[in-house]
Amino acid sequence: MEHNESISKLLRLKRYEQPRPDYFEDFLAEFQLRQRAEVIHRPFWNIAWDRFSSFFAPLPSPRLFAAATFAATVIATGLTLNWSRQEAVTPPATWNLSTAAQMKLGSDQRAFTTSKKRVSSVHYVLPPRPTGYASAHSF
Amino acid sequence: METPETPDSELVSRTQAGDARAFDELVVRFSTRLYGLVYNMTASHEDTNDLLQEIFAKAYRSIKGFQGKSAFYTWMHTIAVNMTINFLKKRNRRKTMSLDDVDSGILNDPDFINATSHGDPSQDANLVELQKKLNESLLKLSHQHRAVVTMFDIQGMPHAEIAKILKISEGTVRSRLFYAHRQLQNHLQEFMKH
Repeated sequence: MEHNESISKLLRLKRYEQPRPDYFEDFLAEFQLRQRAEVIHRPFWNIAWDRFSSFFAPLPSPRLFAAATFAATVIATGLTLNWSRQEAVTPPATWNLSTAAQMKLGSDQRAFTTSKKRVSSVHYVLPPRPTGYASAHSF
Repeated sequence: METPETPDSELVSRTQAGDARAFDELVVRFSTRLYGLVYNMTASHEDTNDLLQEIFAKAYRSIKGFQGKSAFYTWMHTIAVNMTINFLKKRNRRKTMSLDDVDSGILNDPDFINATSHGDPSQDANLVELQKKLNESLLKLSHQHRAVVTMFDIQGMPHAEIAKILKISEGTVRSRLFYAHRQLQNHLQEFMKH
């Protein structure tokens, strides 16, 4: 695919569009001023993100960066879940016999309530008449 | 200031080691070239100034991650093109750029007048129209096509260098150029006869 020479020639005219001559002299001074202002006013999250990015910067590809971030997130989530589960089964700090008894009582009550519920729900069917014709009180 | 012979790689190493003056030298070295790239993509001197400041600030913050796998020149241009394209996307969402916003500084440039003038008053009067049409046509291209045209036609970069900067194949660069030239040809037909 050959490029169009007449179009290129016309576009080359745009090379002449330049800023005023002293622009580039002032540019560096303005850059340094902005850099200093940025150091003073830069928000914390911005600095933190930059440090996080530069920590992973040596990774050869963006895919690897994404994988590393995903792995770090999964590990952090797993650790958090594990920690919260352990905290739920940890006994109270003041552990003594009365606490143990209360806990036992509590669990017994729960068992009783459960069994009562189970009993009330059982349905008995009585036979309509005695199976034998002989009287129960025969002399 | 450094001597012009100091290679970019040495200035980069010194910046990575914490020498801010070495980076100042890189700013001086690259600002003219990157200005041309950004300006021809945005068509506004004001936007170019702000964007160029941001580009160098971003480069300074990220320079520790630069490992020298590509030339520093390529790395800087990649940052500049990506940031400019992102800026143009945002600007397009904000407003559709009016041609009144396009700079007309070129018309006062004696080099431009010498290059285009043929001593014919009617042709000289066409300068205004030509510049307007040129910018209008470039703004009609997509950001990716405009980037390729700017680097190849205006800045004179080879296909291979553009491919590295945009992280695309040389074939894609050539096909984008072909498509962009065809588009521009349709818009600029009347000026191409001269």
